Amino acid sequence: MENLILLAYILPSLILGGGLLGLRLVRGSLSPKMLAGFSLGHGLWHLGLSLWVLLALPLPHYFMESRYLFIDRLGIFQVLIASAVFILAALYSRGYVSHLIANKELDTENLPVFYLGFNLLLSVITFAFFANNLALFWLFLELSTLFSALLIATLNARDNLVAALKYIFIASTAMIFAFIGLIILFSLTRQVSGTGTLNWDELAGLAPLLSPSVLGLSALLILTGLLAKSGLVPLHNWLPAAYAKAPSVVTALMSATVLNIGIVGILRLSALLRQSQIGETFSNVLIGLGILSIGVAAFSMLSRRNLKKLIGFSSIEHMGIMLLAIGIGTPLAVFWMLFHTLAHSLVKSGLFFSAGIIRRQYGSDRFDRIFDIFRLQPVAAWGVIIGSAAITGMPLFPVFLSELNILIQLGGISVWLVLAVLFCLLLVASSFATFLLKAFTRSEQTADRPVFRTPLSMKLPVYVIMAGVVVLGVFQPPVLADFLSQIVKGLGF
Amino acid sequence: MLENIPLNDILKILLVLVLVTSALVLWQRSLTSLFKTYALQSLLVALVALAFFIHDSHLTLLFIALLTLFGKVFLIPRILNRILFQMNIRRDLEFRFLYPVSSLIVSILLVFGVYQVFSSLLGEVMPERLFTLGAVIGVSMALMGMMVIFSRKKMLTKIVGYLSMENGAILFGLFVAELPFILEILVLIDLVILVLLLTVLAFGIDSTIEDFHPRFTPLGEWFKKK
Repeated sequence: MENLILLAYILPSLILGGGLLGLRLVRGSLSPKMLAGFSLGHGLWHLGLSLWVLLALPLPHYFMESRYLFIDRLGIFQVLIASAVFILAALYSRGYVSHLIANKELDTENLPVFYLGFNLLLSVITFAFFANNLALFWLFLELSTLFSALLIATLNARDNLVAALKYIFIASTAMIFAFIGLIILFSLTRQVSGTGTLNWDELAGLAPLLSPSVLGLSALLILTGLLAKSGLVPLHNWLPAAYAKAPSVVTALMSATVLNIGIVGILRLSALLRQSQIGETFSNVLIGLGILSIGVAAFSMLSRRNLKKLIGFSSIEHMGIMLLAIGIGTPLAVFWMLFHTLAHSLVKSGLFFSAGIIRRQYGSDRFDRIFDIFRLQPVAAWGVIIGSAAITGMPLFPVFLSELNILIQLGGISVWLVLAVLFCLLLVASSFATFLLKAFTRSEQTADRPVFRTPLSMKLPVYVIMAGVVVLGVFQPPVLADFLSQIVKGLGF
Repeated sequence: MLENIPLNDILKILLVLVLVTSALVLWQRSLTSLFKTYALQSLLVALVALAFFIHDSHLTLLFIALLTLFGKVFLIPRILNRILFQMNIRRDLEFRFLYPVSSLIVSILLVFGVYQVFSSLLGEVMPERLFTLGAVIGVSMALMGMMVIFSRKKMLTKIVGYLSMENGAILFGLFVAELPFILEILVLIDLVILVLLLTVLAFGIDSTIEDFHPRFTPLGEWFKKK
């Protein structure tokens, strides 16, 4: 009976898959607007179901005898973020995809593939967050790579294929090492418990008993896969290429949710290793890699001419900040890391939605192709300005709070590290400022440029996110703080 | 006759042969022979699983052998061959960073390096020498497959590199600890979907057809109105 909850989560994707199959048999088809409408319904259903789970079920809630799947507070928190971003992305796709087709950037016959991949991606993300078993988690991570790559590749451009293949090769290659790490972990637990397990909840109890050196090797291998999935240095190469080429609606979903799966995996792994003897070493590795990611991203952003690439590098930077917070590992650092995930997901999707409008208007998002933006696309212009201010951690925006608090926690470890990170954050802010000044202050002599009439379905998500970000920056509901504290406590930090 | 040969010897022979196929994957230029080598490599992995089954009588091992046989010896090479048939390429002559001879030298160093690390670390998990050897060859295969991905230009060769990596991981799993069966099935399903998607995408990149729109033909056509 309980498994019906899981079925309810994948029901919309099954209906869509079945429906498209049925339509093929009767030779019918669906319009882009109907498919977008269905996706919107899927998102709302998903959000409603997740809220019900949160309010009605005692968490954590386990499924099946083997307890391979569970819903805990961390999982449902991430799923709620994913649902919210998916709803906005589905709404946005209504106008966006129609224009892609009109512009011959997407073939009509690829439309069912696109929407099926889009909806399945949400199901896969959800199940990755609900996976109690590390091997199942690995599998859903792999599937999320597949569906994301499929979505990147649906556009009619050779560059898109290159970007999708690069993504698959880097992520999947790293994930094979993670798989080897899982097998080592499994054999290690078999020595201690007799049967062996890869369930997060059981591993937590076994961690102190496991051999530190072998556990370290296995953790390092698993971390390799997760780093690639989160776009962290040194396995970040796929990210800017994929983000620059993918349709904006896909990048929004990827940066706001798919990257989070990897970082949540690292968070759970870190919580687990804290119980073992190698906890401190692992934390130091995370701090090092976090700072490296922030640094590499900050320096790479300096000379970016392409808006989506700039935002892509900013994702690497923010994943680095989250990694840093996990490495610091104090309850407050983890609390603000979770808050940062929420803020980052919201702001990033808003930025990509705005970048998508700019791309529709100018056919490019290079700074030297953008003219008269306040006259032609004011919503996108303000979306990018507010989004940039928010993502660079300006006061009154939520990222400011989380970055400030994470830096204060970092101060407990080393003031020099705080200064290094602050310097990088300054570089990031100046990169955004330079780009905006270059791109948004240009005007054209000829006034006959055709104006892209941005449909309401594309503007509305930007408005909602801008409003949401401002509200979250000045007022944090106590319910949210309580909920995040419970997650931190549940993880054992 | 088989009972006269100890299982250890059979496994050792199989392991050496698997390593040879990995070297061939690094070396070969003809794509059809590359696919055949991959099928042979998978067959050897299936035989390793079968040898373990004969020894342990764990049904999971038999299923792994059968799955590998069906999925990797027959199905995946067939998909790859079909895509190759539609393309105008037969050979992959371009190398980057590493040429065959240098890549083989690097591989030998890799095997020794992995052996050094594993014999000191995994000794705690696996007291038996043969098992350490299997684990070392599994991980070395994975690393050699990764070298193929980085050193070759044609997508189809890279795909075989990835598949060879995955075979290495499975071999490692067989020697260290087999995962629950349900997970093995799921991993295979994932692999088949991945290969399907990769080959379709590779078709768009590698094909000499100027117009690459039909790259989605296998997927797009499926939903197209007739």
